[in-house]
Amino acid sequence: MSVTRREFLAISGALGAGLAMSSLGLNMGPAKAYAAELKIDKMKTAKQSTTICSYCAVGCGLICSTDTKAKKIINIEGDPDHPTNEGALCAKGASLFQTTDNNANRLKKVLYRAPGSDKWQEKSWDWAINEIAKKVKAVRDASFIEKNAKGETVNRLEAIAHIGSAALDNEELWPLQAMMRSLGLVYIEHQARI
Amino acid sequence: MADGYSIIMDTSKCTACRGCQIACKQWNQLPGTETKNTGTHENPPDLSFSTYKVVRFSEGKNGDGKPFWYFFSEQCRHCMSPGCMAAVEKEEIVQDDNTGAVLFTPKTKTLDFKATLEGCPYNVPRQDPKTKELAKCTMCFDRITNEKVPACVKSCPTGALVFGDRDKMLEATKKRVDELKKSYPKAAAINPDDVRVIYIVTDDPKKYFKYAEGK
Amino acid sequence: MTNHWVDLRNSDCILVMGSNAAANHPISMKWVQKAKDNGGKLISVDPRFTQTSAKADFYAPLRSGTDIAFLGGMIKYIADNNKFFKEYVVDYTNASFVVDEKFDFSDGLFSGYDKEKRAYDKATWAFKKDDKGMIERDETLQNPKCVFQLMKKHYSRYTPEKVSEITGTPVPDLLKVYEMYSETGTKDKAGTIMYAMGWTQHTVGVQNIRTMSMIQLLLGNIGIAGGGVNALRGESNVQGSTDQAILFHLLPGYLRAPMAAQQTLKDYHAPVPKTSDPRSVNWWSNYPKYSVSLLKAFWGDAGTPENEFGFGWLPKLDAGQNCSWLNLFDEMYNGKIKGFFAWGQNPACSGANSNKVRQGLAKLDWLVNVNIFDNETGSFWKAPGVDPKKIKTEVFMLPCASSVEKEGSITNSGRLAQWRYKASDPPGQAKPDGDIAVELMNKLRELYKKGGKFPDPILKLKWDYTDEKGHFDPHRVAKQINGYFLKDMEVGGKQFKKGDLVPAFPMLQADGSTSCGNWVYCASYTNEGNMMARRDKDDPTGLGLYSKWAWCWPVNRLILYNRASVDRNGQPWNPKRALIQWKDGKWVGDIPDGPAPPLSDEKAGKYPFIMTAEGFGRLYGPGLADGPFPEHYEPLECPIPNNLMSSQYNNPTIKIFKGEMDKHLTCDPRFPFVGTTYRVTEHWQTGCMTRWQPRLVEAEPQMFVEMSEELAELRGIKNGDKVKVSSPRGEVGCVAMVTTRFRPFQVGGVTVHQVGMPWCFGWVAPKDGGDSANLLTPTVGDPNTMIPESKAFMVNVTKA
Repeated sequence: MSVTRREFLAISGALGAGLAMSSLGLNMGPAKAYAAELKIDKMKTAKQSTTICSYCAVGCGLICSTDTKAKKIINIEGDPDHPTNEGALCAKGASLFQTTDNNANRLKKVLYRAPGSDKWQEKSWDWAINEIAKKVKAVRDASFIEKNAKGETVNRLEAIAHIGSAALDNEELWPLQAMMRSLGLVYIEHQARI
Repeated sequence: MADGYSIIMDTSKCTACRGCQIACKQWNQLPGTETKNTGTHENPPDLSFSTYKVVRFSEGKNGDGKPFWYFFSEQCRHCMSPGCMAAVEKEEIVQDDNTGAVLFTPKTKTLDFKATLEGCPYNVPRQDPKTKELAKCTMCFDRITNEKVPACVKSCPTGALVFGDRDKMLEATKKRVDELKKSYPKAAAINPDDVRVIYIVTDDPKKYFKYAEGK
Repeated sequence: MTNHWVDLRNSDCILVMGSNAAANHPISMKWVQKAKDNGGKLISVDPRFTQTSAKADFYAPLRSGTDIAFLGGMIKYIADNNKFFKEYVVDYTNASFVVDEKFDFSDGLFSGYDKEKRAYDKATWAFKKDDKGMIERDETLQNPKCVFQLMKKHYSRYTPEKVSEITGTPVPDLLKVYEMYSETGTKDKAGTIMYAMGWTQHTVGVQNIRTMSMIQLLLGNIGIAGGGVNALRGESNVQGSTDQAILFHLLPGYLRAPMAAQQTLKDYHAPVPKTSDPRSVNWWSNYPKYSVSLLKAFWGDAGTPENEFGFGWLPKLDAGQNCSWLNLFDEMYNGKIKGFFAWGQNPACSGANSNKVRQGLAKLDWLVNVNIFDNETGSFWKAPGVDPKKIKTEVFMLPCASSVEKEGSITNSGRLAQWRYKASDPPGQAKPDGDIAVELMNKLRELYKKGGKFPDPILKLKWDYTDEKGHFDPHRVAKQINGYFLKDMEVGGKQFKKGDLVPAFPMLQADGSTSCGNWVYCASYTNEGNMMARRDKDDPTGLGLYSKWAWCWPVNRLILYNRASVDRNGQPWNPKRALIQWKDGKWVGDIPDGPAPPLSDEKAGKYPFIMTAEGFGRLYGPGLADGPFPEHYEPLECPIPNNLMSSQYNNPTIKIFKGEMDKHLTCDPRFPFVGTTYRVTEHWQTGCMTRWQPRLVEAEPQMFVEMSEELAELRGIKNGDKVKVSSPRGEVGCVAMVTTRFRPFQVGGVTVHQVGMPWCFGWVAPKDGGDSANLLTPTVGDPNTMIPESKAFMVNVTKA
């Protein structure tokens, strides 16, 4: 992957790279401006990686800047080299940064809600995967349909359904459908149907 | 670069995707504030200390009974002779010689906000109620002095926002207005000689936004 | 999309109908604007004056659910005024095909209708064939039984006056649109259509799109730069998830899900389309190569010729069994489904008739909800008005990685598969979906090793998609999707070693010597590397194809049916936008739809529409559930007592759900207004990601309903008032947006009001945000796709 920077202005004359606010004798003191200044400086040493927008299917390109020390994403903006959007983004795309762990609302823990309970409990992955697998097996073993009314072999499972997802990567979807079909699921659906 | 930069805001190309409004907040790390729907898509309702750019929506009926819907991405015009600087004594507000950007410094907390606001023909400056500092669009000063176009301009898909050397932007403005005049006799640029952020409209500016051409 | 986003700029006339591209696919407007800058025209047809309409050269309103009437009128206009592209129509469409004598259409019904079954026997819809099985053709298009004449006759009823009476579009507006758009029926002009859920979410959804496809064929707009039929897909990888068959009726690569009657692989292959015409490529005749290679990808070495490559391990559907979305939730509501995975989806807000969906969730034993934010599905048990104590469903909420926290490809609406990279770790315990799937399957395999019902498919599934550290490895899957040679072999004069990646799907085999997880993706990841990660911006045609940027299926062909962009001699209709050209005995330009010479080569020349058995574009489509020609029917819930086109009120082949949650009311004074749904730029789908982002919520904070000034006056509603919108199925609180952008329609002499609401809100977040418009929408679907009719239903609006 190579990222070029066509968006950068062709600058001539005295105003060149590196002329920061401080050199104009400005003390851009508010916390925001200070942070912003840090941001532009941090971006110069950040790791840049390309991504494709997670929203509609225009498939706009974006560039993530990840702070190499903190390993945190510090900025996301349009990829000027991308032939479809040439750096442009709509409101959602311009806000992709707010889907990262910079957003305190992200789910960060495995949660479980017991029958009749009015709250979530935090659980470990091991526990959850184990429980879900046991439940899948219990339903499958109890409800598996080997033959239909006509006596034809159908080897299917109608008591478990799966929906999703157009938000996953192709490489995740393929094994996911293979897994669900190997279990015998026929209720396999997703956003494309709505 | 004696002339600095300018931004064209060509309303005839704006689709109100609001990429600019959000990109501004995302770059400048400004928070989203709590809002309500008051019967319009226009939100937040106004510029504020944490909002430097708002897309204004304006609708109505034309003579033929068909609707119109205009979009106007409002921001500081970065005036050539900034009215907001009238009361400035100690570089509370500065105008950068190279870029032409009009910048509010933390010293603005000592300024008379009311006077500063009155001095602005476009009703742009806003005050932080806590710190009393004033704030508005910086023309993404940190970006334009680091070889990047302003965040709003970069996000714009249709070329409604364009950034560049002022002489080139004036030229492009004239060309676009001439072109638009063929279909829209009222097409015009708003005060291009006085401001760095030049709005192009195809109808009476007042139909876009109350302060489109000034108070 | 048959074409792609950048290609919009090559268009002379862009019709946006059934979509609001400016709001929902904002970046598409970059290329629409470019087309406009080049002198192209933009037309917007929509019940509401939208952001797209605001940029259009011409806007025409129409009542929701009447698109076939609108477009049927355009077909009549094109035929009556000789606006069609004659050479294209004769050479490349089935206009000249002669249809069976018994085919008939009368008063809204085609021949073969069975009222009991609500279905057609399509036998009489077939083409007339000679002894050799060749379809009879009349290239003069004069035979009264030829498709062209039947089509003319069918749409002769769609006069501007009749259409206007149905759609509510003023006659001059109709004529203006017809005139502007049909100007593209010449060699040097391209017209395109941008549609989305505004066309699919109807009980006549497929036929909406077919009507426009017919127009595109008549005008010679398919296969050319700046043309095509372009579905603007709404999710970043909904194209990919469709390709990978996260749908009950498919297997990856648009192969069919096996049926119970197909007990052997031979039975399964029996319905493969056949043709007697040597000039038809009939690409689907390659089906067994793709299906066997897919089975090899599923089961690996465990799939052998002896066990039919593991065909028996795949689940089989009963005849007529439809497991699509609406039926799924119907079964769930009826208590038949015990366990449910909602993976990266929020059906509690996205499902039509969401109250039914939400109640269905309460009947489950367990629910696994995988997402990056909390949503209304995972938290349904604590929704307002729900008593958690009464909900027995166990819920697992699994936190997954966001799009920038993992690596892999997604496929955009233009079929472009693009690789994206990991920029940071996911927060907390969150994991990529791929890892969650791998870990769950590993555990299941562990359990089934100790025994259980029919363990073979679970234990035999090829499941080696992890790296050395045991983490999900997208590259391994990408290669599996592309396909491998499974032994040393020679294909087409080239030597391949066992383990080589297959360079392209023509090399796939039906004997088990190749594997391929999805034949349409074959060539995406080859021995030369990951094609989906390419970033080269070469554009030799100057048409914006960028063929070396990422990778487009099939075989990197950017514009489908491109063989129709040239005349019989292989020369471009429009040399200024030459997509491909036959030059010195070979094709130059984009990758052609097959290497065969153009039609003028009497021996080797092939018809351009290679995916149809006949090789021709289908003006007449004998395969659909509801008729070979699109016909106007009213939505299941509609504001007028009669279909003004025939005495067949609704689409005669739709399934009517009759459960207690499925009330439908037409012309009921309690629900007098047409309702429709849509989205806003700032929120994505149900908003389950965007409603957690303060900057987006700031811009669109609350559920609203848009209505005309006339309707507001009628109901005493002022702009900004709190109102209640209700349907026979539910109600939702909204802020009233009284606007000039909605206007009442005059339909059959009656004033019809329409209102519109977004479905991007939900009770979980933000506070006071409101809830989804899908609480109002009906459980009824298109008979071909079962996509719900969320775009036209009946509601009431009252002050709250």
